[in-house]
Amino acid sequence: MLKLYFLLCYEFAQIGIFAIGGGYAAIPFLFHIQDKYNWFSIEELTNMIAISNITPGPIGINMATYAGFKTAGILGSTVSTFSMLIVPFIITILITKLFSKLQNNDTIKNLFMGLRPAACALLLSIGISLLFTELFNTKEINFESIDIKQFGLFIVLLISMSFFKKNPLITILLGAIGGVILNYFI
Amino acid sequence: MNKSLIEIFKIFFIIGIQLLGGGYVIVPLLKKYIVDERKWITDEELVDLYAISQCIPGIIAANIATITGYKIKKLQGAIAAIMGIVVPSFIIILLFAMLLSNFANLEIVQAAFKGIRTAVIVLVILTVKDLWKKSVNSIFTYILFSIILLILLFCKTSPTLVIIGAGFSAIFYSKIKGVKNA
Repeated sequence: MLKLYFLLCYEFAQIGIFAIGGGYAAIPFLFHIQDKYNWFSIEELTNMIAISNITPGPIGINMATYAGFKTAGILGSTVSTFSMLIVPFIITILITKLFSKLQNNDTIKNLFMGLRPAACALLLSIGISLLFTELFNTKEINFESIDIKQFGLFIVLLISMSFFKKNPLITILLGAIGGVILNYFI
Repeated sequence: MNKSLIEIFKIFFIIGIQLLGGGYVIVPLLKKYIVDERKWITDEELVDLYAISQCIPGIIAANIATITGYKIKKLQGAIAAIMGIVVPSFIIILLFAMLLSNFANLEIVQAAFKGIRTAVIVLVILTVKDLWKKSVNSIFTYILFSIILLILLFCKTSPTLVIIGAGFSAIFYSKIKGVKNA
């Protein structure tokens, strides 16, 4: 049991340090954890992302709390949230003291030039694998197994959200309504 | 103005409850509660701390709260502020997680969540689009993005390794090219 808390701490500390670019950057790390340990299913993880989006609070903290709870209850969520926050907290305090020296540092700017595309590629690869698991019910391209209803919902949501300003709350609400309609009326 | 730790915690707790839809929402909330109403920090300081938060790893809202708390009352202030941001989302998520397991087997809940998971894919893809605009804007970033995506699609790789590798290659590339700014 102690080992489980240690692993939670180790994995979520990595999210805190290496997930660059907002709450969504934590998503590829959570999928990696899912794949490695099977503490929760892919479906649970995707539900978790949705719930983190529609509840108040920073999405990264919400996801850490939820994933920790699913893995090891309330103590698990305390460990995961705390581990994720502690290293950035210390770095933030140190950098705040040194700020004037770092603000125009070329190495840091160059570093982020590499980190942002990496974060973007990580997220895209998750988007692609989710498309396969949710819409094709498979891990390979197989158009015979495509879930036509969900694919239709996907296209409708994608188009409507590209026209309107991206709003996570509305997107998820529409998804829920769409899911119920597909299940009961179509 | 009263700057007790309890007061700092309380203000950030109130801000935490209102944080919906991404860490950046914290900036206008800080402007209202900390700059305008309490004058604990100035507008210029807010802009500065926003800039610092961009180059620190971690949850953006938590980092911004840490810096603001530090400016108000050093280390104690930083701890009070980050606790204020974390505690409300922590409690709300725990309640949600505990309640949801009671309803998870209802057919209507499962149908709704099937649709919601499709919505999450849409959100992920739209976020990629936003990130792409801000991050992939030169030959180097385009090549880096393509290589990483290919690696990710064909083999299992730890995101930590990908981030470290990308950081090193960017610094290495800049050293060779003598590029000063992206």
